[in-house]
Amino acid sequence: MPIRTYRAFQALILAGLGFFLLSKVWSGTVLFYINRRFVLLVLLGGLGLLALAQVVLNSRRPVSGEDRELEPESTHSGFSGWTLFWVALPILLGILIPARPLGADALPQRGFGAPLSARDRGQGVVLPADSSRWDILDWVQSVEDPALSAGLTGKPADIIGFVYHDPRLADGQFLAARYTLTCCVADAFAIGIAVEWDRGQPLADNTWVHIQGPVDIIEIDGQPMARIQASSIEEIPIPDQPYIIP
Amino acid sequence: MVVFVSVLALGVGLWIALSPEPGAQAGFLASRLSTLTTIFLGIFIEAAPYLLLGTLASGIVEIFFSPEEIIRFSPRQPGLAAGLGSLLGLFFPVCECGVIPLTRRLLAKRMPAVMGLTFLLAAPVLNPIAIASTYSAFGSGPVFWGRLAATAFIAILTGLSFSRYPAVLSPVVRPFPAPVVGESPGGSPRSKWVRVALHAGDEFFEMGRYLVLGASLAALMQTFLPRQALLSLTQGPVVPVLVLMLLAVLLSVCSTVDAFIALAFTGIFPPGAILAFLVFGPMVDIKSAWMYLRAFSPWVVLRLLLFPLVLSIIIGVLVNLLLT
Repeated sequence: MPIRTYRAFQALILAGLGFFLLSKVWSGTVLFYINRRFVLLVLLGGLGLLALAQVVLNSRRPVSGEDRELEPESTHSGFSGWTLFWVALPILLGILIPARPLGADALPQRGFGAPLSARDRGQGVVLPADSSRWDILDWVQSVEDPALSAGLTGKPADIIGFVYHDPRLADGQFLAARYTLTCCVADAFAIGIAVEWDRGQPLADNTWVHIQGPVDIIEIDGQPMARIQASSIEEIPIPDQPYIIP
Repeated sequence: MVVFVSVLALGVGLWIALSPEPGAQAGFLASRLSTLTTIFLGIFIEAAPYLLLGTLASGIVEIFFSPEEIIRFSPRQPGLAAGLGSLLGLFFPVCECGVIPLTRRLLAKRMPAVMGLTFLLAAPVLNPIAIASTYSAFGSGPVFWGRLAATAFIAILTGLSFSRYPAVLSPVVRPFPAPVVGESPGGSPRSKWVRVALHAGDEFFEMGRYLVLGASLAALMQTFLPRQALLSLTQGPVVPVLVLMLLAVLLSVCSTVDAFIALAFTGIFPPGAILAFLVFGPMVDIKSAWMYLRAFSPWVVLRLLLFPLVLSIIIGVLVNLLLT
């Protein structure tokens, strides 16, 4: 491939990747993929790629004097169109497949039951006294903690999650689920809390819901699990932060 | 490649068309594709800035350092070279994505193989960011010190196995693509920085395609292999070590944060398995293994995979046997 043509494609793809990363940050959908602690790094990476694209683009201009040494070759023998294609693939997938956080579809492979000591950090779980401020991870950890689990029945819950119809549950019940995430979605673990709801239309898997109601404890596969006797369920859009950061 | 993609597309099309419920199969495929894309983009978006940093560091080494300077800086005694190589990460804080192009460039500039390859394996853990995150997750306990010591031990031992190749480029590093940027040491500061950027751009593409391939493979395995079955194997001194090492390979997460993931396994898996996860994952995972294949000769890659694999298993199992 002639070097000037290669450089043009290279600059285009670098700029495309830069804009792709910046657009993910700008739209907030970057949180569908990674922990928020990496967002600044992605922002800087996007800006860096744009700067690199600018330099590569400028290198295509006719040069004189000492800068002539920058491009001594007339063709770029090291790379093929496939190299360009592979690096452009994330942009293509980002455009063609709508951005979506991990949901119920991924659960059969990943399974339930996250390792739960992530929020503990060895000092024991410290939770707000008002249980309506707990998220799903707080509930799951409370059930696991013998010191907390005894007093959970009757406490009010106010949580959001997506619907997953777990085959282990009875009719009229589903799991309100979330994923915990440490680095990126590759390390996401699913957690859930059972919900009793037999009013209105059945909710489809992946529907995001806001659930309120008192809690009791049930057993699934011999393991205790919190269950909300839902007094209200409201469908909501996908939250800005779909994952729980331990 | 075109043939492979065509056959794959044809196979998927036939599978949907011949199934009793084509609509359901198409829906199943669409949901899997969405999951696969989300995981793939998660790995790529998180790794791409680190790869960019690594290629920029590689470009700086290429333009601003001569082979003579690198040789002068490198100890000739293999043990010293390996020891210094294991500590270089303290000055080049790169994770497993960024360290590969940087190491390849240092080796091409005549850094001794024993030093460069020790740096390659040690730097993702023995750098300030990974050290701080491990300390934050585990405190200054045995896991923290065990991770640092075991990483240095494995990296140095693996590096020393290359001591017969003190400063030879061709047997260790795969050939670079034809140079497209002038190699002249002269030029104005501006032209030097432009050359740094062009080197970085070229290397970003060269290594980036392997990052994309590795991330794709990791996403495929995560989408279609049941992880829960793997995580149920927690008993005995050996199996949990193998399970968490396999998980580290599959997850392909950054070494700067993997300590928090390992923390989540404490109490479920024995300490030797946690340690093996923390030591082996930064040295070998799917995406870095693909990038190794581009950067180094096949026999070097084989050794870079086998030494950490065997030594991590031995260390993990020994820790389990001693502590239980």
